[in-house]
Amino acid sequence: MVGAAEGKAGTAKWIRGRSAHLRGALLGLVLERPSHGGELANRLAVRLGETWRIDSNDVYRLLQNLLDEGLIEVREEPRRDKRLGTRIVYHPTELTSAALTRWIETLLPRETFRLGLHAKLAVAREQDVPGLRSALAQHRRECLTLATMMCPGDGEPGSWGALFMDCTRDGIHQMLQTELDWVNRTLRRIDEYAAGHA
Amino acid sequence: MGPGSLSHRELHAPLLSFANVDKRRREGERESVVLEGVSLELQAGSALGIYGQRRSGKSTLLRLAVGLELADGGSVRFEGRKLAAMSSGERARLLRGPIALLTGDGWLPSPGETVMDHVAMSAGSAGLSLREARRRALAALDRAGVAGVSAEEMTVSLAPDTRARVMLARALVREPRLLAVDEPAPLPALLERERFCALLREVARERSIALLVASEELSALQGIGSLASLSAGELCSTEDRGTVVEFPRRRAGAGESP
Repeated sequence: MVGAAEGKAGTAKWIRGRSAHLRGALLGLVLERPSHGGELANRLAVRLGETWRIDSNDVYRLLQNLLDEGLIEVREEPRRDKRLGTRIVYHPTELTSAALTRWIETLLPRETFRLGLHAKLAVAREQDVPGLRSALAQHRRECLTLATMMCPGDGEPGSWGALFMDCTRDGIHQMLQTELDWVNRTLRRIDEYAAGHA
Repeated sequence: MGPGSLSHRELHAPLLSFANVDKRRREGERESVVLEGVSLELQAGSALGIYGQRRSGKSTLLRLAVGLELADGGSVRFEGRKLAAMSSGERARLLRGPIALLTGDGWLPSPGETVMDHVAMSAGSAGLSLREARRRALAALDRAGVAGVSAEEMTVSLAPDTRARVMLARALVREPRLLAVDEPAPLPALLERERFCALLREVARERSIALLVASEELSALQGIGSLASLSAGELCSTEDRGTVVEFPRRRAGAGESP
């Protein structure tokens, strides 16, 4: 659990913050195949699905972040139609693969919901399975811990005043239960895949 | 066994412990793994909730914990003593004394039997006089929130909520040190369900009874300080620190010999 132990202080800047998942997923896509920006935005949207609402302007900003960190590099390459000149293509650097592995293993302290894991799964390579497993197991522990922190309400049970609190608690329990079920099923799928390919 | 004869190990042991427990079940030609490498410790007077979906092995885990079934690998100990090393008679005595199991299908009312008879009978089988058994039964029913009037009701015609409470009273009357509950609240009304779960926690806390509760609903486990999730026979708890899992993971597959 390398990533978990390091916590916030030891985590690289690009892994933190709201767009960390998208930056991580972009690294995975660039590693798979060097692409220009528009293509990367497309591939990201297709890979992660509609729920992510990928905005291509954001993608250019995220690519710039990754360039600043030296995790990707740009090359000018001629377009297929030579008359149209060249275009910018994003390529991996020697740091990219290790950075992707690190991101997959790292579950941020407040990353309680599955979006980040979803992005990790979307671009993980087979060699990332141990890191994925440990990130999933850590997420499961966090869900369980959050569930233990959900205390039964103070109000007189069954009173009107307790009703709202009961509903809210119920919602959180349902959400955590769904998360746990998803993690458990994902781990089972990975294990069954591994058993089939052993 | 007198206190003088307790070994060091038994004195300092947790109330209940599972060490690397495996359980397999034969289903026709196939052998399936129900539990794999399950380890847990439950200290006297503490509580552990186990969340798992249907057929995740929760009931099997509880049956192993109370000695109704024995593990195929690893060991289950109660107060430091291996359940597998005891005679079936000894294990049966545990279940009439320090260990209680509450399950939805454990309700077997006899015709013509009152609630009081039902609970007192349970105390009586622990070797008490009838008078003492009735006194204890009344106290247990009172604590389980079954009003005095209901004590003379017939067991065959109880409402689900009362039935659950009578089952709890029946368990309490034997003064258990471990209370295992399989699906604590299969009650139709949400409020009844929550009140019953709260009652379980309160009673266990005030009497220092260790509580092992399994449910397919996380909300039924609220208020329990320690939770674990059971999936594909594997137990993971809030107490676990990150474990390194080798890949591909070795799994006992179908058809493999034990």
